[in-house]
Amino acid sequence: MSEGAEQETIVVIDDDYAMRLSCRKILSKMGFRVEAFEDGGQGLEGVTKLKPSLVVVDLKMPGISGMEVVTRIHEVRPEIVLVVITGYPTIDTAVGAMKCGAYDFLPKPFSPDELRLIVNRGLERRRLMQETRQCEVERALLRRRFITFVSHQLQTPLVAVHQYLDVLKHLDNTESAAKRQEWLDRCLKRTEELQALIKDWLSLARIEGESFSRQWVKADLQRIIAEILCTYKEMAAANGVSLESRIPENTYFVKGDGNCLSVIFDNLIVNAIKYNKPGGMVTISAESLGGEVAIAVADTGVGIPEKYRPFLFEEFFRVEAEGHEKTPGTGLGLSICRRLVTEMGGSISVDSEVNVGSTFRVRLLEYRAQTEEEEKKGAQDDLRSGKDIDCGRRP
Amino acid sequence: MSSNLKILLIDDDKDFRASVKSLLENDGYAVFEADSGREGLRKVVECKPDVIVLDIMMECDVEGYGVNQAIKYQDLYAEYRNIPIVMTSSIELTPDERFPMAGELDMIRPDFYLTKPLDIPKFLDIVHRAAALCPSHGEA
Repeated sequence: MSEGAEQETIVVIDDDYAMRLSCRKILSKMGFRVEAFEDGGQGLEGVTKLKPSLVVVDLKMPGISGMEVVTRIHEVRPEIVLVVITGYPTIDTAVGAMKCGAYDFLPKPFSPDELRLIVNRGLERRRLMQETRQCEVERALLRRRFITFVSHQLQTPLVAVHQYLDVLKHLDNTESAAKRQEWLDRCLKRTEELQALIKDWLSLARIEGESFSRQWVKADLQRIIAEILCTYKEMAAANGVSLESRIPENTYFVKGDGNCLSVIFDNLIVNAIKYNKPGGMVTISAESLGGEVAIAVADTGVGIPEKYRPFLFEEFFRVEAEGHEKTPGTGLGLSICRRLVTEMGGSISVDSEVNVGSTFRVRLLEYRAQTEEEEKKGAQDDLRSGKDIDCGRRP
Repeated sequence: MSSNLKILLIDDDKDFRASVKSLLENDGYAVFEADSGREGLRKVVECKPDVIVLDIMMECDVEGYGVNQAIKYQDLYAEYRNIPIVMTSSIELTPDERFPMAGELDMIRPDFYLTKPLDIPKFLDIVHRAAALCPSHGEA
């Protein structure tokens, strides 16, 4: 007898042998393990031992009544779905049963289909409630982690700066001028990093919050990339890195928001420059792939070790080179990229080889010119269905 | 006399180490550094310090407590068990306040606990007191 890992148990409590038999037949055919008991007392013992997901209980039984069974089970194990069956259905008994904790009420005689329907509905509701509970626990954990992370990330640079300044005061000019200058430079650097962190953190918060406007328009990829490359021309030159965009003009248009796209590619291109080698290259190219545009930002840099790849897009994650100080940056860049890309209905991934380089691939929806009619109809449909665009909660 | 006394500074923030190192050296201590729990334990064996100033290092999964536990409880480090540990953190709650129900609390409680940024006179005083706790040199 094969027993699936997830096989659920249903307990049937009814003094009528024929009823127990037919329930058992119907329910085991659905894939459940079924145990049947002929009275309330045995039934309660069975429930305690077997821990079923659902119990079918007849109201009118000698000894402990069905209502009593319902009340007792609901008191101790409220997560068990209780279905009450009876040959004497009245509104009063129905209401009474619900008040005691029953999920639903099935008058006898009932068809196999009716039983199946109620059982499926009841168990679905149970699953949803379990999921909700789990989500709430996860949410509390995430919130705590968020608070700790943020307070730590924000505190650390401030502490370093404060300590430098306080020690300088305490040592009162006994340190060399060169050392003092060095420390003051470090204070400035840490303060700048902190400001960058706060800026990124706010961006991330804005993406998740309602204040983010989701007007997807036609965006010219080539123009956006060209602007970014212009911004970083000097920085790249200082790092000995050459920048090249292979995206032809007027060819690739995506459905998105200009500012968001700037942020995404800004992050990717800056990374490609930072993590590069002197004499290295950053190349941006694009191609059309079945309704999407795939953009590749490739560098000839240090690459990303395999073991870090699953965490690359996590908040605050930064790849650390062994034995070196932590790499600069807020650790939020890729996390922001991923959120924005996902918001626009796209996806992001990375290919990399250590010491050879990395290529970040972003796929976005290709902009398709709609006729005015189609756009109007689309807007009306959205209004009618009360459609609300969810933000950032994709798995 | 602070001379000849060795302090091991374990902290993953290089700026924090730089300023505190100068501070301690100015007070006559010889200062050794480590930027992680793992390196810290290596340096304990290598330098045999008189005091350990240890950061909680939350970024590395509270590595600081790991060092504390290793020094005070693992047989491997039995020889260094009596080195006083001054733990630093930007969190104001002491381990007892943060983990009141933890069974391992005894294992992770440091000898001294200070919040960052360090109050300099208080810090120097605690390091001085910690150094006085350490068994004197000359014993095998």
